[in-house]
Amino acid sequence: MAKKMVLALASSGVEKLTVGGIILSGAVAQDMEIKVFLLLGGAYAFRKDMADKVKEPGEAHYNKDELLNGFQRANVPYWLDYYQQAKDLGNVTFYLCGTAGKIWVSDKLEDFVDLVDEVCGIGEYISSIEEADFHIII
Amino acid sequence: MNEEELRNLEVDKVVDARGTSCPGPLLAAKRSIAEVKVGGIMEILSSDAGTKRDVPLWAKKVGHEYLGTLDEPGYFRLFIKRTK
Repeated sequence: MAKKMVLALASSGVEKLTVGGIILSGAVAQDMEIKVFLLLGGAYAFRKDMADKVKEPGEAHYNKDELLNGFQRANVPYWLDYYQQAKDLGNVTFYLCGTAGKIWVSDKLEDFVDLVDEVCGIGEYISSIEEADFHIII
Repeated sequence: MNEEELRNLEVDKVVDARGTSCPGPLLAAKRSIAEVKVGGIMEILSSDAGTKRDVPLWAKKVGHEYLGTLDEPGYFRLFIKRTK
């Protein structure tokens, strides 16, 4: 039986979203069943009007230009590409925390990128963690 | 397999992932193995250091056979046999 992973995105820092995408890719490569929960920062990043604009580092001491130039030099794609690829290749479901959605814009799927499958509450997140083999929060 | 055997392998699909960084080559391997018939061989070209260990680990994890690696100037070639 496939291992289950829960990945929770709480940050909208570009480096954290990139790390999340890479971790997700690794899990997809190993045929895991993955649930991605978009918490406060994740909900912000996956907003339809923001998803292609999230380029600020989450860590204040990182130099933004150095980071973005480094991504380019290392051929690291825009963070959202990892999540799209993971969706195309693997068993990945994206859940928007309804409260986080409402804080930014709404709890309607139409206001978030098409990757997002469901709106959920904290109960679903906690239940998913209980059932998963491991849980990562970024 | 030894170097000569790897060089003489008949490969069904070549995946050129040179220039991409982890997890690019790994995802390319996962995507492309589906296009190889069972029993067929996929060759992955990569210049990403982490991939050298990642792909054999991935193959073992998902049940394919890792045949070996050849080092070339500036990149390496990994050979995977699809077993299921």
